Amino acid sequence: MSFFRITLLRSAIGLPRRSTDVLKALGLKKRMGTVFHAVSPSVAGQIMKVKELVSVEEVDRRLTKQEVHLERKPDPGYYLEKSCVAERTELRGQ
Amino acid sequence: MFKPTSALFGGLLWKTPWRLSSMQKARQRKRLRAVDRVVDTVSAALQRNGQTSKAVQRWYAEMPREEEMLPKDKYTIFDKKEKTYRKGIHKLPKWTRLSQRVNPPGF
Repeated sequence: MSFFRITLLRSAIGLPRRSTDVLKALGLKKRMGTVFHAVSPSVAGQIMKVKELVSVEEVDRRLTKQEVHLERKPDPGYYLEKSCVAERTELRGQ
Repeated sequence: MFKPTSALFGGLLWKTPWRLSSMQKARQRKRLRAVDRVVDTVSAALQRNGQTSKAVQRWYAEMPREEEMLPKDKYTIFDKKEKTYRKGIHKLPKWTRLSQRVNPPGF
């Protein structure tokens, strides 16, 4: 079972009411908002209605909101030093 | 000194150029390809699950892809009021968020 990962890239302001309603039905509220829907003909039809506004990917599972957020998080630029004992147990555990 | 120009006489004057610039055309091609990509992704995902969608089938049957389109169709649209029956696609309201790819029969 795969999922559509749908991101709203362009807003439907000024477009026919139908486009706004389709976005609402998909659960897209703001630009750059991301939703996941199981692959099905009905969702495909909804995407086709707003194909100019969204970007679509096929993914294996639904990501949580936090996971989607973490994808965008930049590298902190530092790492935490650990004691060699802690690092060794971590490597052993792998 | 008062200089009589159409902008000063006419109040609000919108100067929309009659054709697209090369950068506008490049962005238009990019948008066309983006729509093609969305449709391809949806179609491939449905096929993998053994499903079909009427909207996707209809798109493939009726709409040309970006690389199949003539420049004429990418950057201009049919208009019965124009002398040449064509006008720039940027005259179409909301043209950056619409799929306008085919002409009426005979044009």
